[in-house]
Amino acid sequence: MSDINKINNTEQNEQEQMSLDDGRRVKVLSPGMMVFKRFIRNRLAIVGICILVFMFTFSFLGGVISPYRQDQVFYKVDSANKEYAGAVVNTDYRFTTVDGKPLSTMVRATFNSQVKGKEGDAITFTADKTAYTALKIDDGFYVITSGEELGSVTMLGKIVDVKAAEGKEISAELKAAATAAAAAGQESFELDGTAYTLTKDMGKSYKLSGMGEVALASMLNFDAADPQYSVLAAGYEFRKNCEAAMHAGQTTFTADGTEYSLEILSETDATIRDASGTELANVSNIIVNPVTSGVVLPASYKDAVVEAILAKKTSFEYVNAEGNTEKHTIQMRSNNYIISTEQQTYLIDMYSPPSAEHPLGTDDHGMDVLTRLMYGGRISLMVGFIVMILENIIGIIVGGISGYFGGWVDTLLMRFVDLFNSIPYYPMMIIAGAIMDSFEVNPYLRLYMMMAIMGIMGWTGVARVVRGQILSLREQDFMVATEATGIKVSRRIFRHLVPNVMPLLIVQATMGLGGIILAEATLSFLGLGIKYPLASWGTIINSSSNIYVMTNCWYLWIPAGLLIVLTVLGFNFVGDGLRDAFDPKMKR
Amino acid sequence: MSENSTNVLEVRNLCKYFPIKAGLFSRVVGHVHAVEDVSFTLKRGTTMGLVGESGCGKTTVGKTLLNLTPKTSGDVIFNGNVQLDKLSRKQLREFRPKIQIIFQDPYASLSPRLPVGEIIGEAVREHNIVPENELDAYVSRIMKSCGLFDYQKDRYPHEFSGGQRQRICIARAIALNPDFIVCDEPVSALDVSIQAQIINLLEDLQKEFNLTYLFISHDLSVVQHISDTVGVMYLGNMVEFADKKEIFANPLHPYTKALFSAIPVPDPTVKMNRIILEGSIPSPANPPSGCKFHTRCKDCRGVCSQKVPKVMDMGNGHTVACHIYDPESGYDKEEA
Repeated sequence: MSDINKINNTEQNEQEQMSLDDGRRVKVLSPGMMVFKRFIRNRLAIVGICILVFMFTFSFLGGVISPYRQDQVFYKVDSANKEYAGAVVNTDYRFTTVDGKPLSTMVRATFNSQVKGKEGDAITFTADKTAYTALKIDDGFYVITSGEELGSVTMLGKIVDVKAAEGKEISAELKAAATAAAAAGQESFELDGTAYTLTKDMGKSYKLSGMGEVALASMLNFDAADPQYSVLAAGYEFRKNCEAAMHAGQTTFTADGTEYSLEILSETDATIRDASGTELANVSNIIVNPVTSGVVLPASYKDAVVEAILAKKTSFEYVNAEGNTEKHTIQMRSNNYIISTEQQTYLIDMYSPPSAEHPLGTDDHGMDVLTRLMYGGRISLMVGFIVMILENIIGIIVGGISGYFGGWVDTLLMRFVDLFNSIPYYPMMIIAGAIMDSFEVNPYLRLYMMMAIMGIMGWTGVARVVRGQILSLREQDFMVATEATGIKVSRRIFRHLVPNVMPLLIVQATMGLGGIILAEATLSFLGLGIKYPLASWGTIINSSSNIYVMTNCWYLWIPAGLLIVLTVLGFNFVGDGLRDAFDPKMKR
Repeated sequence: MSENSTNVLEVRNLCKYFPIKAGLFSRVVGHVHAVEDVSFTLKRGTTMGLVGESGCGKTTVGKTLLNLTPKTSGDVIFNGNVQLDKLSRKQLREFRPKIQIIFQDPYASLSPRLPVGEIIGEAVREHNIVPENELDAYVSRIMKSCGLFDYQKDRYPHEFSGGQRQRICIARAIALNPDFIVCDEPVSALDVSIQAQIINLLEDLQKEFNLTYLFISHDLSVVQHISDTVGVMYLGNMVEFADKKEIFANPLHPYTKALFSAIPVPDPTVKMNRIILEGSIPSPANPPSGCKFHTRCKDCRGVCSQKVPKVMDMGNGHTVACHIYDPESGYDKEEA
């Protein structure tokens, strides 16, 4: 009877309920959905979500859209008054040898020391066991001749034997003249305008030497108008005849059978042309050299410099190869002239203010700040998330074991947590940073290492929260009920415990993210975190750590600081929102 | 395992002491004598009421029986031969469905993150009580028999009232097809109208599934209504045990008398003869010597504080632990 009654009752009940029909009208919401619903009703949380969505778009999409690479360095073209060339009035002798070989240092030094203060037509000196005679042709113009051993003359009674030295030839006339001179007992003789000497060697043997021209010593400098004439301009006879003509005031001279015309501008400046009037070379006692090695100054430029110096001008204009007029200034500094010019130079575009190209200017490396901010955001957010996940994995495992098993396991693990908590965080990170600095760790590896260290240093908080939560949940009636109904341990943990710990963990993790991002920014700011070429918001602020940049380049540090503040704020808003949403005491 | 043994449960000299720890190294400085020397038997299909003041160890008895807290000593034998503490972990888990518990607080005993259907069906699936494909229908049937509706299966506990939640708890226990259910004050958190519904539900289910209940309550009228036998506990001891009719008609122990005198009678003309107990319940950590009740007993004599009373069988299964009924105890009625 009672069974039937009961069934009837139930059916009646059911009909009542169905007729009211409220049971099915109420939309069934899972706790997750309810949390979501509560969350989206929280205005601050929505603001936070918006901030975070913006940050993620900015960082992860921005880098893709941005036309620049994160480590792209920008240059600017700027005109700078740079020293371009130097000119000096030559007071040293320059030597041109007959055979084109350089004159030995000894000879040059001896000549230079002998020539000073000597008045007279000829200077004789000995260097390297050879006698030299410098014949003065004009002031500052000497022809150096030297006694050159041509052969030996041996007298045996009446017979005079003339032997040529190795590699030398003695002509028949010279032989005859030498024989005659030796027989006459002369020590010197002349033949065809060349002086020869006979020096007693040993016994009846004499050394025959002819005085030959060895080199020119002059203060003038020959500059070929064109590289193709440089060999010509370096020629001994060319130079000798040209200079002789200059000193003599002649307008033409001949060398190697060719006639050249000479346009004399001053005593020490002349232009050499060939018969057709083509400029071949310049002669001057002013030497013009480029300041930067490797730059070849055109002859026309040198010409212009010499002209300007002779005219005692302080500036001149020069039409360069591209046809642009450059203005050059000449400055006298002791014996030198310094020629400087406004030059177009490529400079790293440092600290450039915001412009259309660089909406937030460029930083101290000449890199686009906006692009750096985008890539930096990636790193900052990524570090935040990975460290947070790492912290949570370790924290959940340790805290879960500690809370679920309790007893001595709990005591042991919690003392371990205490131990970790008492390691000072920043000194530890600073030491780790310094170690990585000294090993010059690759910046990417460094990034991973930093995340690992931050994760390992930060899990204790999570472990404590999880342990506390599980300890309290473990004693709840519904957990006792799972034991009473004989549900497996794994299911008890994952279906009953974990879902009840999760809300708190999510809130914790979200709130913690802000802290991690701040810690990373702090470390990077101190120069211990992310390294060039990687960027993070902290390193961007770090680049403005001097007072000049602080006061003059707001666009360098304010945006990065703003992004950090906003992101942390966003995470905190979302965390708060989640906490409120998860709180079951909140009204729906 | 003999399913047909008449005694579903036999309890012999059950003791449960909780250690009191103190100091730096959690030294055990004493014990709370929560349950001391409790014995009773429970026949299949009957209900035993367990009454007593707050803190007298009723709930501890319930939890210790199911080995949810390990007992200190004594024997708990189910179906004639099963002792939970002798079973292996796996065997214990397999035996669990046979013995269920309904908690006092319906708000705390349901996992807030699982839908009701899952809460009820979870353990059913775990123990393969019905084939997987019939599970849904089975859960619906159980829910229906507990006065819940099919469509509420996907709802979460927070969407239910206290009475509905208690029905869910009952459904969870019933679904496992148990022999024995510990009802740990299942109605004390509910208002009176709902209490009646739940009590009726429990009675109906008992008839339907031939269940055996241990009904723990401090509400004597409820116990009077539902029980076949009644045990009265005081400070961890069972002071009196008898058939319901017997004990309500003829309570022997002074404590039982005092307790029963507190049952309100719905008749204003009846003059109530209330026995007021002096003082408060002593600390179970430091129980009084001899008869634990002697500090509050109006019939206390010298012997009561010296000797622990023996359990006397007064016939008809009526047992009482009091010196008054023990002729050899040396209890002197005339003593002042």
